[in-house]
Amino acid sequence: MKPAFDPVTLAIPFFILAIILEIILTRLKVTRAHYEAKDTMASLAMGLGSNVAGLLTAGVVVAATIWTYQHRLFDIPMTAIWAWVALFLLEDLTYYWFHRLSHERRFWWAAHVNHHSSQHYNLSTALRQTWTGGLAGTWILWLPLALLGFPPAMIAIQKGISLVYQFWIHTEAVRRTPRWFEAVFNTPSHHRVHHARNPRYLDRNYAGILIVWDKLFGTFQTELDEEACRYGIVKNLSGFNVLRVAFHEWIAMAGDVARHPRHALGYMFGPPGWSHDASRDTSATLRAQWEAGQGGEPEPHQAPRKAASA
Amino acid sequence: MPEGFAVQFAASFAAVALLVGLAAWAKIAKPMTPLNDARALKLLADEFPGRTVEQIWVAVDGRGALAKSGAAALVLCEVGDGYVARHIPWAQAISSSFRDGVVKLDLSDVAAPNARIALQSWPPSSTPPQDKRAA
Repeated sequence: MKPAFDPVTLAIPFFILAIILEIILTRLKVTRAHYEAKDTMASLAMGLGSNVAGLLTAGVVVAATIWTYQHRLFDIPMTAIWAWVALFLLEDLTYYWFHRLSHERRFWWAAHVNHHSSQHYNLSTALRQTWTGGLAGTWILWLPLALLGFPPAMIAIQKGISLVYQFWIHTEAVRRTPRWFEAVFNTPSHHRVHHARNPRYLDRNYAGILIVWDKLFGTFQTELDEEACRYGIVKNLSGFNVLRVAFHEWIAMAGDVARHPRHALGYMFGPPGWSHDASRDTSATLRAQWEAGQGGEPEPHQAPRKAASA
Repeated sequence: MPEGFAVQFAASFAAVALLVGLAAWAKIAKPMTPLNDARALKLLADEFPGRTVEQIWVAVDGRGALAKSGAAALVLCEVGDGYVARHIPWAQAISSSFRDGVVKLDLSDVAAPNARIALQSWPPSSTPPQDKRAA
C-alpha cells in the first residue's frame, strides 16, 4: 500500500529521462560516465524485481506500522511544518543507522550487497535495489517513528523523498557541488566514496540526505583526488546473473552456517568477511593492512593484521 | 494480478529494454585492452595490496592472469568491462584441469564459482623466484 502522494512513483519518469540524458551526454563527450550493457541490464532488472519483491512483504510492513501507530505516544499533525522538519531529521537519522547496520553486519549486508555489486557508478546503479530487504526486517527500524506518533503515510512519503534524493547522487558526471552543500548534504562525491572498495574508503559515508550524520558518528571520508574510487565489492561477482546478484551472499552465509554450526552467530551477525579462524578479511582488517602498507598507525578499534589466508 | 499492475510491469519492461539498448548503442563501457604483465601486476596490486608476486602468467587472449604469491595463486579474470580477482591455494591451482588451452580454476565461491584462463600450457614446468612486487 502506497500513500496517495508517492514520491518514488512520481519520480520514475525522471529516473528514466536522467539515465537517457547521462548516456547521451557521455556519448557526446559532454560528461563522464561508463555504461556496460549487461551491467545496466542487471541493475535495472534488480530495480524491477525489487518492486515485485517489495509487494510480498508490504502487507506485513504496513500492518506492523499501523499497529504501532495505534499505540502511539503522541498525536503529530501531518499538516504542521515542524512535524515535517522533525520527521525529515529523524527519518534521515534512522536511514543512517539502517544503512550502517546493512554494511557492518552480515545478515543485513546479505540483503544490501546487491546494491554495491556493480563495478560501475552511474544512475542505473541507483536502481540496483534489494530483493530481500523486506525479509531482512530492517523496516522495523522505522517503527519507532510511528510509535512517536508520525502518521504512517507521512513516514512513507519521507522515505520516498529520501529514496528519490539518493538517485541523483549515483553519478560521476557531477564532480563537486558548492562547498556549503558538500558540508551539509550527501553528494555524488560523498556517495562515490561509499561505493568504492578501496580499503581507505570501505564502510564510510552511510548518509541518506544529510552527510552530517557521518561527521557526527565518525564515519565520514572525503573523496581524495589522489585516490580514484574503484567501485564494486571487495570480492566482485564473476557475472551478471540477477539471481546470483540477489542471493549470493545469503547462499554463502547459509553455507558457512551449515559448515560451522558452532559459529553460526558469528557468520550471521559478525561483520562481512568475519570467519571463526580469521582466515578472511573484514573491512577493518583490510583497512589495517592498507594502513600498515602506508606506514600509518592502525586505528585503536581495528584488529591487528593477521596472516594472509591462502 | 490487477490489470494496472500488469500494465505498469509491461511498461517497466519496455523502459528497461530501451535503456539497455541505449547503453549498448552508446558504446561507453570502460575501454578494455588486453592485459600485459605490467597491467596485470598493477591490477593485482590493487586487489591484493602488499602481496609479492613471484611469477605471473597472462592469458594468451589478455583476458586474465594467474600469479604465484607464496602458497597462494592470485587469479584475475575479465568480466564485462572490469575484472574479478580471487586467491586460491597454489597447490589447487597447479592441479586444475587444463584442456584445449584453457585452465579451469575452481574458486569455491558462490559469487565467482570458477575462472577460465587461456594459457599456452599448464601447469608450469617450474616456478623460478622472480619476485615481482606489484607496481
